[in-house]
Amino acid sequence: MAELNETIHQPVRLRIMAALVTLGPNEEVDFTYLRDLLEVTDGNLGAHLRKLEEAGYIAVNKIFVERKPRTFVAATPEGRKVFKEHVAALESILKNK
Amino acid sequence: MNISPTEAEEALAAIQAMMQKTRRAISSSGAYRFLIVWGVVWLLGFLGAQFLPQYIAVYTWMVLDILGGILSAIIGIRMNRGVRSPSSSSSGKRIAIFWMLLFLYCVASIAVSWPADGKQLAMFIILFVMVGWLAMGLLLSFTSIWPAVIITALALVGYFLLPGIFNLWMAILGGGGMIVLGLYIRSRW
Repeated sequence: MAELNETIHQPVRLRIMAALVTLGPNEEVDFTYLRDLLEVTDGNLGAHLRKLEEAGYIAVNKIFVERKPRTFVAATPEGRKVFKEHVAALESILKNK
Repeated sequence: MNISPTEAEEALAAIQAMMQKTRRAISSSGAYRFLIVWGVVWLLGFLGAQFLPQYIAVYTWMVLDILGGILSAIIGIRMNRGVRSPSSSSSGKRIAIFWMLLFLYCVASIAVSWPADGKQLAMFIILFVMVGWLAMGLLLSFTSIWPAVIITALALVGYFLLPGIFNLWMAILGGGGMIVLGLYIRSRW
């Protein structure tokens, strides 16, 4: 049976992962775009992204686009797998209630 | 880690809502905006062609086409601006070049064949736009070719069988159809 994941279950991180797994496997999203999408502050998003990156669920890619620093974020294959398991665990709780 | 069924339900609802919001904001579903913009252009342009004096209708078409082009460029630039992938940049440029070339081929074909009246000219442009739509559909999403096939069929029916109300026919079924399809895609996503 699939297990709930404590790192992912935190509300903001849950929404971050939901947004990232919706993208294609080779796509990554800009930090500011993700911040606006989630309606959170820079600091709040940065802190949650660090947690997810430490767990290996997301990859953070810092690059220069037209001489400006940009940060792009993507779900890793491991992150996608763990998120899928977390959703399955949530669904099984509902089925067994 | 244990949570109640209510918490699980709330978490699943939050996931669903976020995924839907992301699809709408980031994914290629933003293409519905093009349908709505060009649906409005066709609706107003063909209504003008049906009911206004010819010289006013021509200027109305020109203004609407310019507005449609500007809005499409803005939508294209804003679409996916926060998302990148190894292929998106090069394929975006190729798509833009394709539409530019198609436009030039359309202008060249019109110049060579010189359509006799407004209806023929409209059909010429419709057929070129639909060829472009079909090419995009075959390249990006096979299911999206069907509206282009249907609009082409409706345009041909209007042109050959209902010449007296061709512009009204295209305004309601072509323009209105694109607006309805755009709104449907938006709600489905």
